[in-house]
Amino acid sequence: MRRLLVSLTLLALALPAPAFARGEFDPTTEFEQHDWIPIHLGPLNLSVTKAVVYLMIGTALTILLGIVLMRARLALLPDRRQTIGEALYEIAQTQIAEQGLPSKAIGRWFPYVSTLLLFIFVVNLIGFIPLPLTGETWHGVPVWGIYAATSSLSVTLALALLTFVFTHFEGIRWNGPTRYFKSWIPEAPKALLLLIVPLEILGQFMRLISLSVRLFANMLAGHILILTFIGLMFILETVVLSPIVIPVATAFYLFELVIVVGIQAFIFAALSAIYIGSAIEPQH
Amino acid sequence: MSILLAATTGDVTKAGKAIGLALGVGLGALGAGVGIGNIFGSMIQSVARQPELRGELQGIQWLGFALTEAVVFYGLLGSILAYVLV
Repeated sequence: MRRLLVSLTLLALALPAPAFARGEFDPTTEFEQHDWIPIHLGPLNLSVTKAVVYLMIGTALTILLGIVLMRARLALLPDRRQTIGEALYEIAQTQIAEQGLPSKAIGRWFPYVSTLLLFIFVVNLIGFIPLPLTGETWHGVPVWGIYAATSSLSVTLALALLTFVFTHFEGIRWNGPTRYFKSWIPEAPKALLLLIVPLEILGQFMRLISLSVRLFANMLAGHILILTFIGLMFILETVVLSPIVIPVATAFYLFELVIVVGIQAFIFAALSAIYIGSAIEPQH
Repeated sequence: MSILLAATTGDVTKAGKAIGLALGVGLGALGAGVGIGNIFGSMIQSVARQPELRGELQGIQWLGFALTEAVVFYGLLGSILAYVLV
Protein backbone atom coordinates (compact mmCIF):
# COMPACT_ATOMS: atom_id res chain seq x y z
CA MET A 1 0.00 0.00 0.00
CA ARG A 2 2.69 2.41 1.04
CA ARG A 3 4.83 1.51 -1.95
CA LEU A 4 1.90 2.19 -4.25
CA LEU A 5 1.37 5.57 -2.59
CA VAL A 6 5.04 6.49 -2.99
CA SER A 7 5.13 5.52 -6.65
CA LEU A 8 1.89 7.38 -7.33
CA THR A 9 3.30 10.50 -5.64
CA LEU A 10 6.49 10.24 -7.65
CA LEU A 11 4.48 9.85 -10.84
CA ALA A 12 2.36 12.88 -9.95
CA LEU A 13 5.50 14.88 -9.26
CA ALA A 14 7.12 13.81 -12.52
CA LEU A 15 4.08 14.47 -14.73
CA PRO A 16 3.81 18.26 -14.72
CA ALA A 17 7.54 18.66 -15.30
CA PRO A 18 7.12 20.21 -18.78
CA ALA A 19 4.54 22.60 -17.33
CA PHE A 20 7.10 24.53 -15.26
CA ALA A 21 6.81 28.07 -16.53
CA ARG A 22 9.97 29.36 -18.12
CA GLY A 23 9.58 33.06 -18.88
CA GLU A 24 12.31 35.67 -18.98
CA PHE A 25 13.65 36.05 -15.44
CA ASP A 26 15.44 39.16 -14.27
CA PRO A 27 17.15 38.56 -10.89
CA THR A 28 17.39 42.27 -10.09
CA THR A 29 13.61 42.56 -9.69
CA GLU A 30 13.85 40.23 -6.69
CA PHE A 31 15.53 42.99 -4.68
CA GLU A 32 12.88 45.65 -5.27
CA GLN A 33 10.91 46.94 -2.30
CA HIS A 34 7.32 47.78 -3.18
CA ASP A 35 5.49 50.45 -1.19
CA TRP A 36 2.63 48.79 0.66
CA ILE A 37 1.49 51.90 2.53
CA PRO A 38 3.04 54.96 0.84
CA ILE A 39 4.17 57.68 3.25
CA HIS A 40 6.08 60.52 1.61
CA LEU A 41 7.34 63.44 3.71
CA GLY A 42 8.83 65.89 1.24
CA PRO A 43 11.97 64.21 -0.11
CA LEU A 44 11.80 61.50 2.55
CA ASN A 45 10.25 58.19 1.59
CA LEU A 46 8.98 56.57 4.78
CA SER A 47 6.70 54.08 3.05
CA VAL A 48 5.88 50.80 4.72
CA THR A 49 7.56 48.05 2.68
CA LYS A 50 8.19 44.37 3.25
CA ALA A 51 11.39 45.10 5.18
CA VAL A 52 9.57 47.60 7.41
CA VAL A 53 6.86 45.06 8.23
CA TYR A 54 9.51 42.49 9.14
CA LEU A 55 11.28 45.07 11.30
CA MET A 56 8.02 45.87 13.10
CA ILE A 57 7.39 42.18 13.79
CA GLY A 58 10.97 41.87 14.97
CA THR A 59 10.65 44.83 17.31
CA ALA A 60 7.43 43.53 18.82
CA LEU A 61 8.92 40.05 19.29
CA THR A 62 12.09 41.47 20.87
CA ILE A 63 10.06 43.45 23.41
CA LEU A 64 7.88 40.40 24.08
CA LEU A 65 10.97 38.21 24.50
CA GLY A 66 12.44 40.63 27.02
CA ILE A 67 9.22 40.82 29.01
CA VAL A 68 8.56 37.07 28.96
CA LEU A 69 12.12 36.00 29.73
CA MET A 70 13.32 38.67 32.12
CA ARG A 71 10.34 40.44 33.67
CA ALA A 72 7.52 38.00 34.33
CA ARG A 73 7.36 35.77 37.42
CA LEU A 74 11.00 35.85 38.48
CA ALA A 75 11.83 33.28 41.12
CA LEU A 76 14.83 32.44 43.29
CA LEU A 77 14.83 28.93 41.85
CA PRO A 78 14.76 29.65 38.12
CA ASP A 79 12.62 27.51 35.85
CA ARG A 80 13.65 26.76 32.26
CA ARG A 81 12.26 30.04 30.87
CA GLN A 82 14.18 32.12 33.38
CA THR A 83 17.33 30.07 32.83
CA ILE A 84 17.25 30.96 29.12
CA GLY A 85 16.85 34.62 30.01
CA GLU A 86 19.75 34.50 32.45
CA ALA A 87 21.95 32.69 29.92
CA LEU A 88 21.21 35.40 27.34
CA TYR A 89 21.96 38.09 29.91
CA GLU A 90 25.23 36.41 30.82
CA ILE A 91 26.33 36.23 27.17
CA ALA A 92 25.56 39.93 26.75
CA GLN A 93 27.31 40.78 30.01
CA THR A 94 30.48 38.67 30.00
CA GLN A 95 31.05 37.95 26.32
CA ILE A 96 30.08 41.30 24.82
CA ALA A 97 29.95 44.20 27.26
CA GLU A 98 32.91 43.25 29.46
CA GLN A 99 35.06 42.29 26.47
CA GLY A 100 34.70 45.58 24.67
CA LEU A 101 33.58 48.31 27.05
CA PRO A 102 35.69 49.79 29.85
CA SER A 103 34.12 49.19 33.27
CA LYS A 104 33.17 52.85 33.73
CA ALA A 105 30.97 52.78 30.60
CA ILE A 106 29.28 49.38 30.99
CA GLY A 107 26.33 50.79 32.92
CA ARG A 108 25.65 53.29 30.17
CA TRP A 109 26.20 51.15 27.07
CA PHE A 110 25.20 47.66 28.20
CA PRO A 111 21.54 48.33 27.29
CA TYR A 112 22.53 49.36 23.78
CA VAL A 113 24.75 46.39 22.98
CA SER A 114 22.39 43.84 24.53
CA THR A 115 19.48 45.35 22.60
CA LEU A 116 21.52 45.04 19.41
CA LEU A 117 22.22 41.38 20.23
CA LEU A 118 18.57 40.51 20.90
CA PHE A 119 17.09 42.62 18.11
CA ILE A 120 19.39 41.39 15.34
CA PHE A 121 19.01 37.83 16.59
CA VAL A 122 15.21 38.03 16.47
CA VAL A 123 15.10 39.78 13.09
CA ASN A 124 17.53 37.23 11.63
CA LEU A 125 15.51 34.39 13.11
CA ILE A 126 12.11 35.42 11.76
CA GLY A 127 13.84 35.70 8.40
CA PHE A 128 13.98 31.91 8.33
CA ILE A 129 10.34 31.33 9.24
CA PRO A 130 8.06 31.20 6.19
CA LEU A 131 5.45 33.98 6.47
CA PRO A 132 2.69 35.01 4.04
CA LEU A 133 4.36 38.38 3.48
CA THR A 134 5.95 38.01 0.05
CA GLY A 135 3.48 40.47 -1.42
CA GLU A 136 2.60 38.02 -4.18
CA THR A 137 -0.60 36.05 -4.57
CA TRP A 138 -1.32 32.74 -6.23
CA HIS A 139 -5.01 32.45 -7.18
CA GLY A 140 -5.82 34.91 -4.41
CA VAL A 141 -3.88 33.03 -1.72
CA PRO A 142 -0.86 34.91 -0.35
CA VAL A 143 2.41 33.18 -1.21
CA TRP A 144 4.52 32.12 1.77
CA GLY A 145 8.20 32.84 1.64
CA ILE A 146 11.31 33.58 3.67
CA TYR A 147 12.82 37.05 3.81
CA ALA A 148 15.03 38.73 6.40
CA ALA A 149 14.91 42.47 6.99
CA THR A 150 18.65 42.30 7.73
CA SER A 151 19.27 41.12 4.17
CA SER A 152 18.50 44.69 3.08
CA LEU A 153 21.50 47.02 3.14
CA SER A 154 19.40 49.98 4.32
CA VAL A 155 18.53 48.21 7.57
CA THR A 156 22.05 47.13 8.45
CA LEU A 157 23.51 50.47 7.38
CA ALA A 158 21.10 52.26 9.72
CA LEU A 159 22.20 50.01 12.59
CA ALA A 160 25.88 50.54 11.74
CA LEU A 161 25.31 54.31 11.56
CA LEU A 162 23.91 54.21 15.11
CA THR A 163 27.12 52.57 16.33
CA PHE A 164 29.23 54.98 14.26
CA VAL A 165 27.52 58.06 15.69
CA PHE A 166 27.59 56.76 19.27
CA THR A 167 31.29 55.88 18.93
CA HIS A 168 32.38 59.40 18.09
CA PHE A 169 29.84 61.02 20.40
CA GLU A 170 31.20 59.03 23.33
CA GLY A 171 34.80 59.59 22.28
CA ILE A 172 34.28 63.35 22.31
CA ARG A 173 32.17 63.30 25.49
CA TRP A 174 34.75 61.42 27.58
CA ASN A 175 37.98 62.84 26.14
CA GLY A 176 37.06 66.24 24.72
CA PRO A 177 37.32 66.87 20.97
CA THR A 178 41.02 67.72 20.80
CA ARG A 179 42.24 64.76 22.84
CA TYR A 180 39.90 62.41 21.02
CA PHE A 181 40.89 63.41 17.51
CA LYS A 182 44.56 63.51 18.55
CA SER A 183 44.24 59.87 19.57
CA TRP A 184 43.69 59.02 15.92
CA ILE A 185 47.24 60.16 15.16
CA PRO A 186 49.61 57.31 16.08
CA GLU A 187 53.24 57.62 17.17
CA ALA A 188 55.23 57.66 13.94
CA PRO A 189 57.88 59.67 12.10
CA LYS A 190 56.58 62.96 10.68
CA ALA A 191 56.97 61.88 7.05
CA LEU A 192 54.92 58.73 7.56
CA LEU A 193 52.10 60.60 9.31
CA LEU A 194 51.06 62.10 5.98
CA LEU A 195 50.32 58.57 4.82
CA ILE A 196 48.95 57.12 8.06
CA VAL A 197 46.48 59.79 9.11
CA PRO A 198 44.32 59.63 5.95
CA LEU A 199 44.34 55.84 6.25
CA GLU A 200 43.26 56.11 9.88
CA ILE A 201 40.38 58.43 8.96
CA LEU A 202 39.44 56.15 6.07
CA GLY A 203 39.52 53.23 8.51
CA GLN A 204 36.87 54.89 10.66
CA PHE A 205 34.53 54.94 7.68
CA MET A 206 35.53 51.44 6.59
CA ARG A 207 34.18 50.22 9.93
CA LEU A 208 30.79 51.50 8.83
CA ILE A 209 30.99 49.53 5.58
CA SER A 210 32.39 46.33 7.06
CA LEU A 211 29.88 46.34 9.93
CA SER A 212 26.87 46.79 7.67
CA VAL A 213 27.99 44.68 4.72
CA ARG A 214 28.97 41.73 6.92
CA LEU A 215 25.48 41.31 8.34
CA PHE A 216 23.68 42.20 5.12
CA ALA A 217 25.70 39.91 2.86
CA ASN A 218 25.63 37.03 5.33
CA MET A 219 21.86 37.00 5.51
CA LEU A 220 21.42 37.64 1.79
CA ALA A 221 23.84 34.88 0.83
CA GLY A 222 22.15 32.48 3.24
CA HIS A 223 18.77 33.04 1.63
CA ILE A 224 20.20 32.93 -1.89
CA LEU A 225 21.98 29.64 -1.11
CA ILE A 226 18.84 27.93 0.17
CA LEU A 227 16.63 29.20 -2.63
CA THR A 228 19.21 28.46 -5.33
CA PHE A 229 19.40 24.80 -4.38
CA ILE A 230 15.62 24.44 -4.43
CA GLY A 231 15.51 26.54 -7.58
CA LEU A 232 17.86 24.15 -9.38
CA MET A 233 14.83 21.89 -9.88
CA PHE A 234 13.05 24.69 -11.70
CA ILE A 235 16.07 25.91 -13.64
CA LEU A 236 16.87 22.44 -14.96
CA GLU A 237 13.14 21.66 -15.27
CA THR A 238 13.26 18.27 -13.61
CA VAL A 239 12.05 16.82 -10.31
CA VAL A 240 14.54 13.95 -10.50
CA LEU A 241 16.97 16.26 -8.68
CA SER A 242 14.70 16.64 -5.67
CA PRO A 243 16.29 13.83 -3.58
CA ILE A 244 19.59 15.69 -3.89
CA VAL A 245 18.67 19.36 -3.70
CA ILE A 246 16.09 19.20 -0.90
CA PRO A 247 18.46 17.58 1.66
CA VAL A 248 21.22 20.02 0.66
CA ALA A 249 18.88 22.98 1.01
CA THR A 250 17.71 21.66 4.39
CA ALA A 251 21.31 21.28 5.54
CA PHE A 252 22.07 24.88 4.60
CA TYR A 253 18.85 26.00 6.26
CA LEU A 254 19.85 24.31 9.51
CA PHE A 255 23.40 25.70 9.27
CA GLU A 256 22.03 29.22 8.86
CA LEU A 257 19.48 28.78 11.62
CA VAL A 258 21.78 27.22 14.22
CA ILE A 259 25.09 28.98 13.55
CA VAL A 260 24.89 32.06 11.34
CA VAL A 261 21.84 33.74 12.91
CA GLY A 262 23.34 33.77 16.40
CA ILE A 263 26.93 34.43 15.36
CA GLN A 264 26.06 37.46 13.27
CA ALA A 265 23.99 39.02 16.05
CA PHE A 266 26.82 38.33 18.49
CA ILE A 267 29.46 39.79 16.15
CA PHE A 268 27.50 42.96 15.48
CA ALA A 269 26.96 43.60 19.18
CA ALA A 270 30.54 42.65 20.13
CA LEU A 271 32.11 44.87 17.48
CA SER A 272 29.83 47.75 18.47
CA ALA A 273 30.98 47.34 22.07
CA ILE A 274 34.64 47.18 20.99
CA TYR A 275 34.33 50.29 18.81
CA ILE A 276 32.56 52.33 21.50
CA GLY A 277 34.98 51.08 24.14
CA SER A 278 38.03 51.97 22.06
CA ALA A 279 36.68 55.49 21.53
CA ILE A 280 36.08 55.99 25.27
CA GLU A 281 39.56 54.78 26.18
CA PRO A 282 41.90 55.49 23.25
CA GLN A 283 45.18 53.62 23.17
CA HIS A 284 47.41 56.68 23.19
CA MET B 1 18.60 20.94 -19.72
CA SER B 2 18.26 24.10 -21.74
CA ILE B 3 20.83 25.85 -19.56
CA LEU B 4 23.43 23.31 -20.72
CA LEU B 5 22.52 23.90 -24.34
CA ALA B 6 22.82 27.63 -23.78
CA ALA B 7 26.54 27.10 -23.29
CA THR B 8 26.88 26.28 -26.96
CA THR B 9 24.30 28.65 -28.41
CA GLY B 10 24.00 31.50 -25.87
CA ASP B 11 25.66 34.87 -26.13
CA VAL B 12 29.13 35.54 -24.79
CA THR B 13 28.18 38.45 -22.50
CA LYS B 14 26.05 36.22 -20.30
CA ALA B 15 28.78 33.61 -20.17
CA GLY B 16 31.36 36.21 -19.17
CA LYS B 17 29.12 37.54 -16.43
CA ALA B 18 28.52 34.04 -15.08
CA ILE B 19 32.23 33.25 -15.12
CA GLY B 20 33.00 36.52 -13.33
CA LEU B 21 30.39 35.84 -10.65
CA ALA B 22 31.64 32.30 -10.09
CA LEU B 23 35.30 33.35 -10.01
CA GLY B 24 34.64 36.15 -7.53
CA VAL B 25 32.75 33.95 -5.10
CA GLY B 26 35.06 30.98 -5.63
CA LEU B 27 38.28 32.87 -4.97
CA GLY B 28 36.73 34.60 -1.96
CA ALA B 29 35.67 31.24 -0.58
CA LEU B 30 39.18 29.87 -1.16
CA GLY B 31 40.76 32.53 1.03
CA ALA B 32 38.13 32.31 3.72
CA GLY B 33 38.38 28.52 3.74
CA VAL B 34 42.10 28.70 4.52
CA GLY B 35 41.48 31.35 7.18
CA ILE B 36 38.65 29.53 8.93
CA GLY B 37 40.64 26.31 8.87
CA ASN B 38 43.51 28.13 10.53
CA ILE B 39 41.27 29.55 13.26
CA PHE B 40 39.68 26.23 14.20
CA GLY B 41 43.01 24.41 13.93
CA SER B 42 44.63 26.84 16.36
CA MET B 43 41.58 26.60 18.61
CA ILE B 44 41.88 22.79 18.80
CA GLN B 45 45.59 23.05 19.55
CA SER B 46 45.19 25.62 22.29
CA VAL B 47 42.30 23.76 23.94
CA ALA B 48 44.33 20.55 23.80
CA ARG B 49 47.17 22.31 25.59
CA GLN B 50 45.15 24.36 28.08
CA PRO B 51 41.59 23.01 28.35
CA GLU B 52 40.79 25.41 31.19
CA LEU B 53 40.94 28.39 28.79
CA ARG B 54 38.17 27.01 26.58
CA GLY B 55 35.49 29.49 27.68
CA GLU B 56 37.67 32.53 27.13
CA LEU B 57 38.98 31.29 23.80
CA GLN B 58 35.52 30.52 22.45
CA GLY B 59 34.50 34.17 22.30
CA ILE B 60 37.65 35.10 20.39
CA GLN B 61 37.21 32.08 18.13
CA TRP B 62 33.74 33.05 17.00
CA LEU B 63 34.78 36.66 16.54
CA GLY B 64 37.64 35.55 14.31
CA PHE B 65 35.38 33.12 12.48
CA ALA B 66 32.84 35.80 11.60
CA LEU B 67 35.49 38.34 10.63
CA THR B 68 37.12 35.82 8.29
CA GLU B 69 33.86 34.48 6.91
CA ALA B 70 32.82 38.00 5.94
CA VAL B 71 35.60 38.00 3.34
CA VAL B 72 33.57 35.62 1.16
CA PHE B 73 30.69 38.04 1.24
CA TYR B 74 32.79 40.99 0.18
CA GLY B 75 33.75 38.87 -2.82
CA LEU B 76 30.14 37.84 -3.36
CA LEU B 77 28.92 41.43 -3.13
CA GLY B 78 31.51 42.63 -5.63
CA SER B 79 30.61 39.81 -8.00
CA ILE B 80 26.89 40.47 -7.75
CA LEU B 81 27.49 44.18 -8.37
CA ALA B 82 29.56 43.31 -11.44
CA TYR B 83 26.90 40.83 -12.58
CA VAL B 84 24.01 43.24 -12.20
CA LEU B 85 25.63 46.51 -13.27
CA VAL B 86 27.85 45.52 -16.22
